[in-house]
Amino acid sequence: MSQPTSEALIPEAPILEVRDLRKHFAQRRGMLGALSRGADAKVIPAIDGVSFSLHENETLGLVGESGCGKTTTGKAILKLHSVTGGTIRYRGTDITNQSQAQFRPLRRDIQMIFQDLDAALNPKVRIEDILREAVLLREPDADKESVQRQIYELMDLVNLKKNKLANFPSELSGGEKRRIGIARVLAVRPKLIVADEPTSALDVSIQAQVINLMRDLQAQFGLSYLFISHDLQLVELMSHRVAVMYLGQIVEMGPAKDIAKSPKHPYTSILWSSIVEKRSTETANHDSAPAWGVFDFERPRGGCRFAPRCPVYAERGKPAVCTDAANPPVLKEAGAGRVVACHFPL
Amino acid sequence: MSNSPLLRIEDLRTYFYSRVKRAFVRSVDGVDLEVVRGETLGIVGESGSGKSVTMLSSMGLVTTGPGVVTGKVTFHDGEPKNLLEGLDANVKLERRDGRIMRVSKDNQAWQKQADRNLKGIRGGKISMIFQNPRAALNPFETIGKQIAEAVRLHTGVTGAAEAREKALHWLEQVRIDSPRLRYDNHPYGLSGGMSQRAMIAMALAAEPQMLIADEPTTGLDATIQARIVDLLDDLKARLGMTMVLISHDIGVISRLSDRIAVMYGGRVMETGPAAEVLDDHAEGHPYTRALLSSTPRPENVTASGHLPAIEGEVLDTINVPPGCRFKARCQRMHDGVRPRCESQEPELFEIAPGRRIRCWIYAPR
Repeated sequence: MSQPTSEALIPEAPILEVRDLRKHFAQRRGMLGALSRGADAKVIPAIDGVSFSLHENETLGLVGESGCGKTTTGKAILKLHSVTGGTIRYRGTDITNQSQAQFRPLRRDIQMIFQDLDAALNPKVRIEDILREAVLLREPDADKESVQRQIYELMDLVNLKKNKLANFPSELSGGEKRRIGIARVLAVRPKLIVADEPTSALDVSIQAQVINLMRDLQAQFGLSYLFISHDLQLVELMSHRVAVMYLGQIVEMGPAKDIAKSPKHPYTSILWSSIVEKRSTETANHDSAPAWGVFDFERPRGGCRFAPRCPVYAERGKPAVCTDAANPPVLKEAGAGRVVACHFPL
Repeated sequence: MSNSPLLRIEDLRTYFYSRVKRAFVRSVDGVDLEVVRGETLGIVGESGSGKSVTMLSSMGLVTTGPGVVTGKVTFHDGEPKNLLEGLDANVKLERRDGRIMRVSKDNQAWQKQADRNLKGIRGGKISMIFQNPRAALNPFETIGKQIAEAVRLHTGVTGAAEAREKALHWLEQVRIDSPRLRYDNHPYGLSGGMSQRAMIAMALAAEPQMLIADEPTTGLDATIQARIVDLLDDLKARLGMTMVLISHDIGVISRLSDRIAVMYGGRVMETGPAAEVLDDHAEGHPYTRALLSSTPRPENVTASGHLPAIEGEVLDTINVPPGCRFKARCQRMHDGVRPRCESQEPELFEIAPGRRIRCWIYAPR
């Protein structure tokens, strides 16, 4: 298997196409507010116009700080959240407003690996039964022997010994639980896997095992991954392309190596320069970025959402275009396969 | 004596008795460490390696439940003082056929003794910051008052106005923006990064001789994490603080530490100057080398696109096998050392001044 490169992109129709996706949550304050169904609810735009596509055999990394809408985007694709606007197309079919019954046949194709290892596996069901349930979901009429064979195959795929089958999830280590989570997803032969922080609960040495496994499975089954993580170095390594999210919007997208090496959006640049290993005492002292504050959704500023934290905005003497509500930055071409939403790209 | 140790841990063992498994979980199993005045000692290891429990035991914070701590922890502040003095008198072990069958511990007496040993030291001369600032701060009190309380408890300051000024000073020191406004904030009004800063301010307000930081940046966003690391780095330089930094994150450890101890399965596997332990091309313990090369850095990726993972699982500290603790996952064991690796646990061999490695490969001939 070779390094992920942008050339690996297949110029075919994408397996997944997301256009202008929006998900707004209503926030009601207090007990009375929770009861009332009125216009007094505050709107939290968790995803606000996200567009991207994902090809077969490709990994798209989704990075950003907590609260930027990464997980909400992943869950919206699986229809675990209803959406406020926009379209999600899977192999050309618009699945955005399909009912759960209409969506069921496709549910197998699109699977998710959840962040919380312990919440994802039923603690009272043995590993064997967890996997059997998944196998029977795909082949309800399979006979006993074939199911057993498939369970063994799944255990082989994720490099687990068969003697773990009789165990309960609580008897497994973190790495083993993660493998079972992956095995269960593979049982239904998915095409697209949304992996939400698949290694955030694991130790470094175990993380490397899981990452290697995910890459092998991608090569073997031609899987597409939407890889959600806050670990920038991990995303850089796993992904063909990376999308950087800030407050519900994609601010930059392009080949992973280019994004990491020569970021065009000031936010991407700050994000990558905050990798602790790459910093030294000097870079810290010369860091001109203003103190970080949390963006206040309730008082949305016009124009660029990043402007209040943006060093370029400050350096250029706060140009009016950055805060012009009528002219928010949109994603524009910026070199080979890259887009950036910034009035003054680096 | 600028190089004298401030804290010396000798043969520290912390065992937790599991009633279900009728066996001891040997979380810390013979740890020796020294913290020299003015330096930052980084303790790195995976979860379950015993890095947090080592420091919690030293600070008398392993009290509830069947935790048994033995060894010696000496704090050199004027008269050397053993912080674990007289604790084992409160534990009774029942043995049958050489195996420990039951542990009875007088929890109250244990706690009392630990509190007596650590009076004026824990929270005062040695303060601690933890991973979760929200759990460490009182949710019903403003952060300013909490910091002022630490000032009045641990320093000579008694007046309310003076304590308030001191608290504001520490809020400024940890670079909280508009400290006068933040003084009156409750913890829930602060972001994660800001709560962490408030907790650091509270720890510093006692004007400690030593700060123990247990995973201070874990769970924070990359940008906030970088800021907190910058802050600790800056405080280290400005205040000349002695610090013990516990983290699983090699990036954080490498940025802040002067010396590093690598822990695995309840034991220190390697110690030495930070630059040497983390140098990719230097000699080192097979575990440290493997750990460094399994981190997701671009230069670690092999030609096949894989990361060099450490196969196998983290050591089960209930049934610790004979021989080296890392032998089951070791890639560098060769026939010349194998018999010893299998049968006998190596000591920390000194390969250069101040540099020790617990591996038979480095045994002197």
